[in-house]
Amino acid sequence: MVSIKRVAAVAAVAMAGLTACAGTDSASSAVPGAAPSEGGGSGVLADAPVAAAADILPGSTMEKIKQRGELIVGGSLDAPLLSQQNPATGEVEGFDADLGKALAKYIIGQPKVKIVNSASETREALLSNGTVDVVFQTYTITPERAEQVSFAGPYYSSGLSIAVKKGTTGISSPQDLNGKTVIAGANTPAIPAIKKLAPQAKIITFGGDPECVQALKQDRGVAYVQDETLLVADAKKDPELQVVGKPFTQDPYGIGLKHGDDQFKSFVNDWLKKIQANGVWQGIWKNSLGTVVQGEAPTPPEIGSVPGS
Amino acid sequence: MSALLDHLPEFWQGLVVTLQMTAASFAGAAVVGLVIVAMRVGPVPVLRTVATVYVETLQNLPLLVLLVLAVFGLPEIGLKAGLTTTAVVVIALYEGAYIAEALRSGVNAISSGQGEAARALGLTFGQSLRHVVLPQALRTVVQPIGNIFIALTMNTSLAAAVGVVELTAAANRVNLLEAQPIPIFVGAGLAYAAVAACAGFVTGRLERRLAVAR
Repeated sequence: MVSIKRVAAVAAVAMAGLTACAGTDSASSAVPGAAPSEGGGSGVLADAPVAAAADILPGSTMEKIKQRGELIVGGSLDAPLLSQQNPATGEVEGFDADLGKALAKYIIGQPKVKIVNSASETREALLSNGTVDVVFQTYTITPERAEQVSFAGPYYSSGLSIAVKKGTTGISSPQDLNGKTVIAGANTPAIPAIKKLAPQAKIITFGGDPECVQALKQDRGVAYVQDETLLVADAKKDPELQVVGKPFTQDPYGIGLKHGDDQFKSFVNDWLKKIQANGVWQGIWKNSLGTVVQGEAPTPPEIGSVPGS
Repeated sequence: MSALLDHLPEFWQGLVVTLQMTAASFAGAAVVGLVIVAMRVGPVPVLRTVATVYVETLQNLPLLVLLVLAVFGLPEIGLKAGLTTTAVVVIALYEGAYIAEALRSGVNAISSGQGEAARALGLTFGQSLRHVVLPQALRTVVQPIGNIFIALTMNTSLAAAVGVVELTAAANRVNLLEAQPIPIFVGAGLAYAAVAACAGFVTGRLERRLAVAR
């Protein structure tokens, strides 16, 4: 028995070491979003508007949320700069997370949210069965999805880009990926985009962004296709990576709502217009994505400008 | 429903990969299990200890952890193989521990008189294991091994997390496009259930035919 315990102990130490390595990774990835939003995040939310009592229609979804005193958001806890749980404080930080808090403040008067960690496989089901009120999760609006859920927004527009190991030559556009092995995040819009633009590419997918980066560094593929913001954040903390070319798609992100709840949809769209007009949207961007993307906050996409929104 | 029917080719391909992985890793697990149980019931103390440590270690680690370690950890020390190959080897090693335990319970079920009789006849340890003990042990543990086979089939779905496009990953990809998780995952679930039902049917028949009367 002693020997078993000893082996178990050795194994445990080894595992602890590995998780510690992983921990350093995620901690450092939390830093770009975490540092400024600790000071500024609450400041931005202080300026966030609160809906007039008349806007909370009786019997509406908004009223239900207000009575509950908490907005239930379908989101992520592991997306750097967008929606990531800070291991030190337990707070979820990032662009999507802060927008969720701002919406909660608009409805309830306080930025009280509960984030339900939803996977891309379950978002539609969580919305339709009422487990979550809204989804803030880089939820790209597509006509197929719009048949299952309602989308407010788009509230942000992003695009896919390509990362390679530093020193890789011959890849600068999606067409260059033909005949090569390409890494993509499981369940991301990168998969259909690669299939369309580089039909001869072989796609392998991994669960999360850290796994994809690791796989790229271990030569499981020559390129990694992902949302540009995420890639820029990766490249910033990992000098082995290099983002090549410009974004080659337009991914309009929408706020997922229960299908057919038009009242709530126009309510959320009104809120989006307000926070875009008074600078809260821009402030939230600066605190999160703006910490790695150079320059001023982009102009938000026009609400309702995408098929499906 | 159309979300499912429009993508039958993708589902079929995923199912084929799942079945291939299941067959290959079960074959590997059977070999590992036999070797480990032979070591564990054998007369050499060192081998017994090694086998015990092997079983205890693998049974106490989640398969997903092992898969992630093998796929992302081994290349760091210069060992890199294809994703499917790595996944099959890891699943075989992992399930081998369970098969070894099932076989050991079968060996324990055989009365010690059998082993003594084999020795009295002058059979070596290997011979008595091969001709007397294991054949009877195997017949006793058809059902448990069938259950391990079913668990192994389900466990191949974890390979989706490390990039293998098997049935679960195929379902994920279709859902990404169609955004209809309920019909899609019910469909994938039914395919797994069908595989498990077949395995259950075969082991049920085998058990009735092979049962040792005691």
